[in-house]
Amino acid sequence: MNHPDEAELPPYAELHCLSNFTFLRGASHPHELVEQADALGYRALAITDECSVAGAVRAHMAAKNRRLKLIIGAELRLSCGLKLVALAIDRHGYGRLCRLITRGRRAARKGQYALTRADLEEVNPEQCFILWLPAARPRSEELLWLCGRFPGRVRIAVELLREGADGPRRAALEQIGAQCGVPLIASGDVHMHVRARQRLQDAVTAIRLNVPIAAVGSRLYSNGERYLRERARLARLYPRALLEASAALAEECHFSLDELRYEYPRELVPPGETPASYLRRLTEEGARWRWPGGPPPAERAAIEHELALIAELRYEPYFLTVHDVVAYARSRGILCQGRGSAANSRVCYCLGVTSVDPQRGAALLFERFISRERNEPPDIDIDFEHERREEVLQYVYNKYGRDRAALAATVIMYRPRSALRDLGKVFGLTPAESGRLAKVMQWWDGSTTMPERVRAAGFDEDCLRHLLPLAGELTAFPGFPRHLSQHVGGFVISAGLLEELVPVENAAMPERTVVQWDKDDLNDLGLLKVDLLALGMLTALQRAFALVNDFRGTHHALGELPAEDQRVYDMICRADTIGVFQIESRAQMAMLPRLKPRCYYDLVIEVAIVRPGPIQGDMVHPYLRRRAGAEPVEYPGEEVRAILHRTLGVPIFQEQVMHIAIAAAGFTPGEADALRRAMGAWKRTGGLDPFRERLLQGMHVKGYPEEFAERIYQQMLGFGEFGFPESHAMSFALLVYDSAWLKCHEPAAFTCALLNSQPMGFYAPAQLVRDARAHGVEVRAVDACVSGWDAALERRADGEPSLRLGLRLVKSLSRIGADRLIAARSAQPFASVQDLATRAALDRTDLEALAAAGALASLSGNRHLAFWEVAGFERGLPLAPAAAAGAVEGRPLLSSPTEGEQIVADYASLGLTLGRHPLALLRARLHADSLLPASELARAANGARVRTAGLVLMRQRPATASGVTFLTLEDESGQVNVIVWESVGRAQRRALIESRLLEVHGELQQQDGVIHLIARRLIDRSHLLGGLLARSRDFH
Amino acid sequence: MRPRIVSAAAALHPRWFDSGSAAAPLRKLLRAPTAAAPPIPELWVGVHLPGCGSTQQLEELATCVQRFTPRVSLVLPDGLLLEVKGSLHLFAGVAGLRAELTGDCRRCQLQPVLAFAPTPLAALTAARAGRPLEITAAGQLAGQLAPLPLTALRWPEETLARLARMGVRTIGAVLRLPRAGFARRFGVAQLAMLDQLTGRAPDVRPAFHARERFRRRRDLGCELTVHDRLRTALAPLFTALGAFLTARQCGVVEVECLLMHSQLPATRCLLSLASPCADGQRLAALCSEYLNAMRLPAPVRACELRAEVPVPHVPDSRCLWQPGEHGGDEAAVSGGLVERLRARLGPDAIRGLTLRDGHRPESTWALSGPPSAGPLPVQARRAAAAAACSAHAQWPVFRRPLWILPAPRPLTVRDGWPCRGGPLRLVSEVERIETGWWDEAGIARDYYSATDLHGVRLWVFRERAVPHGWFLHGVFG
Repeated sequence: MNHPDEAELPPYAELHCLSNFTFLRGASHPHELVEQADALGYRALAITDECSVAGAVRAHMAAKNRRLKLIIGAELRLSCGLKLVALAIDRHGYGRLCRLITRGRRAARKGQYALTRADLEEVNPEQCFILWLPAARPRSEELLWLCGRFPGRVRIAVELLREGADGPRRAALEQIGAQCGVPLIASGDVHMHVRARQRLQDAVTAIRLNVPIAAVGSRLYSNGERYLRERARLARLYPRALLEASAALAEECHFSLDELRYEYPRELVPPGETPASYLRRLTEEGARWRWPGGPPPAERAAIEHELALIAELRYEPYFLTVHDVVAYARSRGILCQGRGSAANSRVCYCLGVTSVDPQRGAALLFERFISRERNEPPDIDIDFEHERREEVLQYVYNKYGRDRAALAATVIMYRPRSALRDLGKVFGLTPAESGRLAKVMQWWDGSTTMPERVRAAGFDEDCLRHLLPLAGELTAFPGFPRHLSQHVGGFVISAGLLEELVPVENAAMPERTVVQWDKDDLNDLGLLKVDLLALGMLTALQRAFALVNDFRGTHHALGELPAEDQRVYDMICRADTIGVFQIESRAQMAMLPRLKPRCYYDLVIEVAIVRPGPIQGDMVHPYLRRRAGAEPVEYPGEEVRAILHRTLGVPIFQEQVMHIAIAAAGFTPGEADALRRAMGAWKRTGGLDPFRERLLQGMHVKGYPEEFAERIYQQMLGFGEFGFPESHAMSFALLVYDSAWLKCHEPAAFTCALLNSQPMGFYAPAQLVRDARAHGVEVRAVDACVSGWDAALERRADGEPSLRLGLRLVKSLSRIGADRLIAARSAQPFASVQDLATRAALDRTDLEALAAAGALASLSGNRHLAFWEVAGFERGLPLAPAAAAGAVEGRPLLSSPTEGEQIVADYASLGLTLGRHPLALLRARLHADSLLPASELARAANGARVRTAGLVLMRQRPATASGVTFLTLEDESGQVNVIVWESVGRAQRRALIESRLLEVHGELQQQDGVIHLIARRLIDRSHLLGGLLARSRDFH
Repeated sequence: MRPRIVSAAAALHPRWFDSGSAAAPLRKLLRAPTAAAPPIPELWVGVHLPGCGSTQQLEELATCVQRFTPRVSLVLPDGLLLEVKGSLHLFAGVAGLRAELTGDCRRCQLQPVLAFAPTPLAALTAARAGRPLEITAAGQLAGQLAPLPLTALRWPEETLARLARMGVRTIGAVLRLPRAGFARRFGVAQLAMLDQLTGRAPDVRPAFHARERFRRRRDLGCELTVHDRLRTALAPLFTALGAFLTARQCGVVEVECLLMHSQLPATRCLLSLASPCADGQRLAALCSEYLNAMRLPAPVRACELRAEVPVPHVPDSRCLWQPGEHGGDEAAVSGGLVERLRARLGPDAIRGLTLRDGHRPESTWALSGPPSAGPLPVQARRAAAAAACSAHAQWPVFRRPLWILPAPRPLTVRDGWPCRGGPLRLVSEVERIETGWWDEAGIARDYYSATDLHGVRLWVFRERAVPHGWFLHGVFG
């Protein structure tokens, strides 16, 4: 690096270099390549991933503030075999390159590309240099073709890799160059930043080819020369002129990703209007809708203020874009709600983006979300009903066209499991063995525990000798990319052609296209995206409102329910919140009796406080103590009083932390913005350390205690990727209130809507139904003579609703069959199973599904008889001759199913039972083993040693809980929350992971009416269940 | 005309079986009229052999238990059925037979479950259900079977699952179902099986026949030492073997020829063939090749041919073309050649060569087992041709010497330069090979062409790892 003769060495620029975003070919991260090239004193480095610029932004960010110049390009292999590298000279050239990549990617299925010479002629990469990469035997015809198409911009890449014929090859290329009049440059076909990555490069090659490494043979590279070589070494290998030619070519490329400018779509503004005037008009219209008597003067002023700020920052098109999407959803009756920094503004309230009534919460200052100084882009996420979001996505595609709108990508990285599975195959394990190897890692295991877990599973040391270090490299920070997938809903919409900004490729799902950059990349470049997300609760709320309005003739709608109903808060304080949005999780339920929310803003805090940020920053207990009056409300300094007084002096929201950084640590708004980005991405980019120094020092200067500063810093770390801003919490709290109101006042309709929106939420239908029955809702069984596809409300004699389960719960019943059944039934009620089978023309699978669910009980009697009857029908010949003649078949001698059999069958088919809980049947047995039911645990004293057993409903392993696993057990009398410390869990891992019926011995802990069982011993009792199919839901 | 080979044993049973004579007295007994009128026409033993892995093991056991009755049937993969009504009194009734049968099974390393019943299916079902029932009266049959689980009938999973959903899990429950309704839902075959179970319908089981093998001995009546005479003496045996195989459309891949001496142990000569052969003349010719390569320790008094496991074999069709011509089948020739060479030079003297893909010079080719004599499939031939072409397309092939040493030989080093007799002159640029790290033979070397003092071109390399030794790896022609 600091070679004595460095100054005399010829300058060099590497113009052909693949990063690991050429998936399973490149073996180094873009930032590693940039750092290494810079350290070696290269003039420039071109990242030329194969038909991709997916790694370009990361390289760009790494190259900032370095003297190394970054060039953007791509390696392309045409179907005729011609290989070349295209390097963008300027913005125009970059746009053409992106179009070319888009063309190749869109023409092939996900992850592939297809380009021909015709494509290259059509999408001419003007303003790009073309490096010809000759084959092992150079064919001058290729070069002549290139020269004909791209005169003056073609170079011959001479890549000397010590494969034994460097001299003759160079001579041959020189000769061809002289014949065609094309200059030569030096390049290195770089696949890794240091030679030591050769093993990884070989291994990923084997993964890509899907053969064991011993069988890859000559498709591996014969040596490890494809790395960023020291300049002295290059100087010995190449003539000086070639190296200088590379550096000179790099000089001529002057495109930087910083030149990309995002422009909002313009067509939303009708002719004769400006974006500002149009936004004003829409806002005025919205204001009249929101405040029929005209907005109060304070709101009026606030709206003017916001509009002025938006106009100043020129954000009108963004608000108009969001409004357009929301207006579409509304026109189609799709429930949606915005959240995010800009969403909780009066303008958004007027535009219908959000329903957070500015007067309902404490009045918010718009600057808290959009500020003049901090140049952060507005951020609005819009949640849609999960079952109808696709309609909105397709609307956006159609409105702007696929050439202007696409989803952001998500880079899928290697996880311990996938790394072990793929490497297992590489090292010759059978697929079954690789699967077993991967299975030793649970989803919560970090990569650090990998070697110990793998050895514990009994894999032989020899096979692991190479495997484990490579698995370590694949899973090491920041994760080795494996492929691109689509982001859940981040849309990029541009004014011009999107493919001139970033290449667009096909996603796995039909009708979906993604750009090659993920949300961090887009963020880094300041490109804006609108998040169109799916939210199950919106689907459920929409359905619940429809059910209630239909049943009672009311006009309830989102955000328009009676506000601040104390009966709703009473219910919430009891943690009686199964099914309620957000606060139904076990951690939230444990918090509710302590926090005791009594108003809307309490819910905002409740939503945000049970998050990694506040927990890791140790902010939860101070807040609870202050709320309970056990500790005085103090402010560490005057500057932060205004920021923290809403949360009793304890920072809880992401925005508060940032504002503290500005007010108390003297950050400039720009620095705070950098901090916000770093907070979201520190896991990716590694470390907030520079900010820590700055923060602690700044706060020290202003006289804040060090301990407070350190807690603020810890909270920043905790926010990480889960940062929860107040602006999101406010929108979520609205859904919390509405869903809780429905649960409190209309439990039948609420449960019905949840059942019809599955899968969603935290609980399975079994728990939802149990909970509804506990609240006095009459639940009626699935019945082929009555049930529709969805669950529905039936009017009881007393005029109250009861809940009829729907056919959708019946396992393996086809939707088409069910529809035919309902149609046939509406024509005329069924007289018998035979009548049903004939008129609904059901096939045997459907008939058996109905029999299994007990849905034929009203026609045939018990399940056994139902099965006997349906077994007699075949589609096509539904009636045997005897039956057709009207002869009645003899009734078979079949036993009635026992209660246990009924319950097993209910679980197997419906996933729930209206009979007794399975553990009720086992109670005598459990009692004999001195195992207490959940209801009796509540009566035990704090600290008592107890034993219990229950079905495992859930396993949770929150990242914040440092290895603790939370279990929820259920028996016939209720649920028990179990805490398994890491050491206990490790020692009894099998029982912890595999049990369906788990016996737990431990110690009872009671606090504020919240009961936890601290496990000491875990015993798998699943065998007692026999055929019961109760699967737990496991969560990260 | 096809010669048939029969023996005394084969006259009784249509098979070739040297220990078959044990069954002969039993046969006579069976023919004898029985005194008392039997309560049931047949009594079957069902033998369930959990853990019985192979047909071969089952056949061995079947051969062995033929001493109880000639009516033995295999029920693959793990069951046997014996009809023992007639032989019960010979083995002290049910209890005695059970003891003897169990003993036989144990000797074959199997733990049996035995059940006795009037129908074969009932006996087998009870045994499979793990119930050692002894049903000797027809009246008990339905009652005794009733509690048995339905799974013992080994019906398709799907049928059993459907029945289970109706609450039908035992044989009793299924027998209670209406016949017509049952047949309509589960098929006539299943109903027929139930009828066989209860004896309503006949259940005919194919009898087991032991596997055949060829053994023939010829006493010479004199002592022979001359190979020619020996050949003549062996000729009829080979003719008989050829006829035996032809009649059964079988071939052999191994024939054992034993030459007996008066004092010494027999000389054993094992003919191994590249492909199944049924041609007695060809076998005889091959045998004489072996004899030629052999020194007899003593005069031969008798000889014997043994062929243990005949394999199915389709006789060759003769080609119009001569071998090697147009469509002539070269493989038939090479097969014969390989066999003859092996006979003369020993079984390990013939090796095949294969090409292997990879960068390591020492593992680009490898020895393979004896070449298979069958004609190469067309794809394989094409693949080989393509591999040869692509090998030419790659440059390094031309830079490699034809003669590569079995193991690289260290070179002496003087002043950092490799020497062999005198200092070597490197005449090429470096070729760096770093690969194979995943097994024990990983390499990291810089290869060069070099010439020694005599102008001989050598292929040498320098280790990339310390101490950077120099090695000779090949010599150019």
